[in-house]
Amino acid sequence: MSAQFIAQNLIFGVLTGSLYGLGAAGLSLVFGVLRVLNVAHGELIMLGGYASFWLFASYGLDPFASLLLTTPLMFVIGLGLHQGLFTHVETLDEDMRIKNSLLIGFGLTLALHNLAIRLWTADERAVTTAYSGAVIAAGGLVFPVVRVAALVIAFGAIALVHLMLRATYVGQAIRATAEDWEAAMLMGIDVRRTYLIAFALGSALAGVAGTLVSVGYSINPSIGLEWTLKALIVVVLAGLGSMPGTFLGGLLLGLAESVSALLLGGTYREVVALVIFVLVLMFRPQGLFGR
Amino acid sequence: MRQPFALVALVALVVLSVLLPFLTARTDILNLGFLIFLYIALAQSWNALAGLAGQINLGHAAFFGIGAFVMRHVWIAGVHPYLGLLAGGAAALLFGLLIGAPAFRLRGAYFAIGTLGLAEILRITVGNALPVVSTLPAESIAGYSLTHRYYLALGLALLTVATLAALARSRLGLGMLALRDDEDAAEATGVDALKHKLIALAVSTGFAGLAGGVFAFYHVSYYHQLPFSPTWTFDALLITFVGGVGTIAGPIVGTVFYLLVREVLVQSLVELHLLIFGLLFILVVLALPGGLMDAVARVRRLSERARARRSMTGAT
Amino acid sequence: MLEATDLHVSYGDLQALWGMSLRVDDGEIVALIGPNGAGKTTLLRTITGLLRPTSGTVRFDGRALHQERPHHIVDLGIALVPEGRRLFAGMSVLENLMLGAFTARARPRRQETLRGVYEIFPVLAERLGQPAGTLSGGQQQMLAIGRALMARPKILLLDEPSLGLAPVVALRIFEVIRRINADQRVTVLLVEQNVKAALELAHRAYLAQGGRIVGGGTGAELLGDERVKSAYLDFLSVS
Repeated sequence: MSAQFIAQNLIFGVLTGSLYGLGAAGLSLVFGVLRVLNVAHGELIMLGGYASFWLFASYGLDPFASLLLTTPLMFVIGLGLHQGLFTHVETLDEDMRIKNSLLIGFGLTLALHNLAIRLWTADERAVTTAYSGAVIAAGGLVFPVVRVAALVIAFGAIALVHLMLRATYVGQAIRATAEDWEAAMLMGIDVRRTYLIAFALGSALAGVAGTLVSVGYSINPSIGLEWTLKALIVVVLAGLGSMPGTFLGGLLLGLAESVSALLLGGTYREVVALVIFVLVLMFRPQGLFGR
Repeated sequence: MRQPFALVALVALVVLSVLLPFLTARTDILNLGFLIFLYIALAQSWNALAGLAGQINLGHAAFFGIGAFVMRHVWIAGVHPYLGLLAGGAAALLFGLLIGAPAFRLRGAYFAIGTLGLAEILRITVGNALPVVSTLPAESIAGYSLTHRYYLALGLALLTVATLAALARSRLGLGMLALRDDEDAAEATGVDALKHKLIALAVSTGFAGLAGGVFAFYHVSYYHQLPFSPTWTFDALLITFVGGVGTIAGPIVGTVFYLLVREVLVQSLVELHLLIFGLLFILVVLALPGGLMDAVARVRRLSERARARRSMTGAT
Repeated sequence: MLEATDLHVSYGDLQALWGMSLRVDDGEIVALIGPNGAGKTTLLRTITGLLRPTSGTVRFDGRALHQERPHHIVDLGIALVPEGRRLFAGMSVLENLMLGAFTARARPRRQETLRGVYEIFPVLAERLGQPAGTLSGGQQQMLAIGRALMARPKILLLDEPSLGLAPVVALRIFEVIRRINADQRVTVLLVEQNVKAALELAHRAYLAQGGRIVGGGTGAELLGDERVKSAYLDFLSVS
C-alpha cells in the first residue's frame, strides 16, 4: 500500500465524513433541544435528496442551486411533521417522551420509506451534472469537485447554524431551551414555538445533507435507515450541544471508516463504525465533545 | 381472559388450528398458518420485554438470527433438529444475558439504539463471513414435512403465549409491570430493576431464539444474514403495538391482521401493507396507546354504558 | 398589584395548595415563610404559569393570570428568581443577562437595563464572558437576580435566595433586595427560610403551612408570633 493510496483513502474519508457531520447536525439539534430521538431523520435526508433529484430531472435545475428551494421546503415539511406528530410528546416526562418519540419516528420512517418507493420506485438515483466527473488533481491526489463542494457547503451550513445559535435571539432561545426549558420559559421564551423552530431547522439541515448525497453519491428509498444510523453514531460520538463538535465527529467517523477499510477490507467498514458506536455508548455516553 | 365468550373463542381457535392439516392439504394455507404462528411467537417474545418490562429493544433480530444460526449449523452437522432448536434458544438466551447487564445501564433511547447497533454488527459480520446461501442436505429435503413444521410453530406459539400469560400473573410479572409504568417509583418500593429486566430479557431472547430455530428448520435455503435483518424486529414491533403492547391477545390479533393484510395486498402492491401499518402505527402511538385491544375494550365499555343507560331509563 | 385568591393546586393526584390566598400591594416587600412542603414554591410556580390551579384565581393589576402561558406572564411584568437559581450554566454571564431581556417589553431597553444591573452588581460586569456555572454561589445568586431584573419586572418573585449561601453573602443579597425595592420601586414577593432576615426586610409577611395561609401581618408582628418563634427557634436565636 503506497502512501498515495492511503492518503487518497483518507481524503475520501474526510469528504464523506463532512456529510456524516451535516447529517448528524439536524438530529443533534432536535435531540438536544426537544429530547426527541427522531429515527426518521434519515428518511428526511432521503427526501431532501429526492427533492433535488426531482427538480433536476424535471427542470434541469442545478442541484446546488436547488438548495435555495429545497431547504425552505424541508423547513416547512419539518414544521408540518412537528405540529402533526410530535407536539403531544412534549407534555410527557423524559422517559415516556423518548420512548414515544422513538415509536412515532419509527412509524414515520415506514410511511416515508414506502411513500418514496411509491413515488419514485426503488431504483437507485443520482444527480449527474455536466461537472459531476470533474476532479481537482493536486500532488498526485484526486479531489472530486462535487464532493469538495459538498464539504464546503456542509461546513458552511453548520457554521451558519452555529453562528445563529450564538448571535441571534432565536438561537439563544434554542440554546436556553435545550439547557433548561423551564428556566427558558421564565425568561419569556415561547418554548413550544422554540421546539417547532428547532425541529424545522433540523429537517432543513437533513434536506441539505440529502441534496449533497444525491449529487456526490446516489440515493434510493432505502438509504434512510443507513443514514439514521450514521447520524446516531456521530451524535453519540460527538455528544450533544455543539455544532462544530458534531461536524468534527462526522469527519472522525469518515476517517475511522477509511482507516478500517484500509486495514480490514471494505466489507468491515460498517462494522467498525458500529463497534465504535456501541463502545462509546457503553463507556462515554456523553460523547467526546458533549457536556 | 375473564369473559367466557373470549375463552370459548380461544379454545375453538386452538382446536381449529390443531385440526387444520386434517381439514385441508393446501400448502398455501398451511404455509400461512405456519407464518402466523411463527410471527405470534416472535411478537410475543418482543412483547415480553416491551410490554411487561417497558424496554424497547430494537436489536431483537439479533436473537432471532442467533437462534436460526445455531440451530441450522447444529442440525446440518447431524444432530436431531429438536436438540438444535433448544441449542438455538439457549444460545440466544445466553447472548441476551451477556449483553443485558451492560446494556441496561443505558436508559430509554440509548438502550434502543445500542441494541440496534449490536444487532447490525451481528448482521453485517455474519453477512461478511458467510455471504452464501445456507442449503439443506438432500436427505433433509427429501423428508421435508410441512405439517411437522406447522405443528412445531403452533406448539411454540402456544408455549410462548402460555408462558407470557403465566408470567404476567406472577409476582415477577407484577414487578416488571411496575417497572414499565415508572422505573424510579418501582425501585423506590424495592423492586430490583436489574433482576426483573434481566428475567424479562431472558424470556424475550430465549423465545426469539426458539422462533429463529423454527425459521431455520422451515426454510430449505436462505441467506445466512436474513434472520438477522432488522425487518424481523420492526415487524414484531409493529405487530405488537398495533395489536396492543403489554396485552397477551395484542400480538396475536396484530399478527393475524398484519399477515392477512399482507396476503391480500401481495396481489396488488407488495409494500403497501407496510405503508398502511406505518400509518396505523403512528395512529396507535398518538391516539390509541393500547392498540387494537384497547380499541376493542373501549368499544365494549361504550356499549356497556349504553346498555346500562337504556336499562336505567327503562326502569323509570 | 398581585392577588391570589383561594388557590387549589395539585401535582397530578397530590394536592399541594388548599385554598391559598395572599395579596401584594404596589411597592411592598412581602415575605412568605413556612416549613418545607408548605406550598411556597408551588404558589410561585402557579403565579408564573408553570402550574395551573384546579380552582381559584391569580390577578395581576386586575388581570387574570391563571390561563396565561408562562412566557406571556413574564411579558406582563412578573419575573421569578427560581429556587436553585436555574442559570444557564453553559452560557456566559452576559448571555444569561441578555436572555433575561428576551421579552418584547424588555428587549428594546436592554442596554439601559444592563447598565443598571452593572451598577447594582459590579462583580457581574467584571465577569461577562465567564460561564455561569463557574461562578461562586453568591455570584450566581446575583446573576440570577440580575437576569430577572433584565426583564424590567413590576414585581420580582424570589424563591429562597439565601439558600446555600454563607451568612455574610446572604446578608448582602438581602441588602440588594431592599435597595432594588427602595430605589427602583420594584415590588417584591420573597419566599425565605431565613425567617429573621426575611421578616426584618419585609413590610408584610404571610405564614404558610400545609398548603394554606395560617397567619399574616407586618414583619414585626410575625417576629413576635409564637408559632413562628417555636418553629424557627434556631433561626431566631441567631442574631
